Amino acid sequence: MKISISRQHIYLLSLLTFFLVFVLLFSFALLIPEGKEYRKDRIEFKKESKELRKYQNFHSEVQVRLKELQSENRHIITAFDATFDPYRFQKQHRDYFSALTLSELSRVSDDDEFIAYEVNTTSEISTPKSFYDFLDAVNKSDWIISVEFPINFKRDGEMIKSSFTMKVFCADKDSNRTEPSVKEVAE
Amino acid sequence: MKYSYITPRKKSAFTTEVQLLILFFSITLGMLFITYLFLLFKDYSFIEDMNDIALTQSELSVEVSQMKEQIEFIEKENLLAQKIYTQNTVLKDSITNLFDLVPQRITLSEANLLENGLILYGITPNKDVYNFMLQAPLRSIFHRTYSSFHPADNGWLRFVSTNYIDEELSLSQEIESED
Repeated sequence: MKISISRQHIYLLSLLTFFLVFVLLFSFALLIPEGKEYRKDRIEFKKESKELRKYQNFHSEVQVRLKELQSENRHIITAFDATFDPYRFQKQHRDYFSALTLSELSRVSDDDEFIAYEVNTTSEISTPKSFYDFLDAVNKSDWIISVEFPINFKRDGEMIKSSFTMKVFCADKDSNRTEPSVKEVAE
Repeated sequence: MKYSYITPRKKSAFTTEVQLLILFFSITLGMLFITYLFLLFKDYSFIEDMNDIALTQSELSVEVSQMKEQIEFIEKENLLAQKIYTQNTVLKDSITNLFDLVPQRITLSEANLLENGLILYGITPNKDVYNFMLQAPLRSIFHRTYSSFHPADNGWLRFVSTNYIDEELSLSQEIESED
């Protein structure tokens, strides 16, 4: 039995085979591996995006905590950053004393974060209550000040002469920061 | 000699079947190429986006560590400030207590408050008044109390009262009270 296939059909079949082989090769060699890569990358991207969102939330939480702390402790932060001004200190606290003298400010201790300056103070008060009021006012002043021992009270006629040491604390945020202005103030 | 009355049509390789086949495969290949290009573009965009994410994350990480440092520093400032405020308040209470301790019959001329002691200078009508009204409460506060007297011009007695708290003793007392 003789099978007769026209030349036209042979061309058609060859072309069909060629195209089919090309499509299959293209699909298996390029398209499918690329598709797999795409799927892998998409999963990875989703994972990374989720991680980023989590980290952004954490960042926001830390930021909120910082803002809260800053607003809650605004006075303390400002007080630690403030440079001690003997004139202003005297002006703010002169009501408690009949006379107030501050000695020169000297640097006494210096750790990584805080610097302490010492200032000797002599004053005259009419009643011990003035001194109590002064100690209350020191806690609300523009600087972080601790009143240190020894404290001496001496009767002088109707007045009480007192002498004590104050420690002024500053934050050492900048190592190149300038020292507080040091001047003898006497009234 | 003519065998047909019609003119022969020109034969072409692009017959209708071949044209159909080419059209079909063109569409198929076109779609495959478009898909491939789309995948390539998406891969590229994922890589770019992941680089952006990594960059953002490292920036956030730096910011977070800076903010944590700031938080730690503010907490330290707050702690130190509270300690100083408490110290000042305790000092005020100590001075108030000291002046409340001195009876009206005894007049102080000088008081020296030390970190672990108290030195008082004053004048008393007699030793008994001093012993009962000032020395007794001082003894209950301080571990060591010394007194010396000198006669004053008006017949009263000038006194110097030196009082100390022993750090070791006070520490052991604190431990005992805690037990």
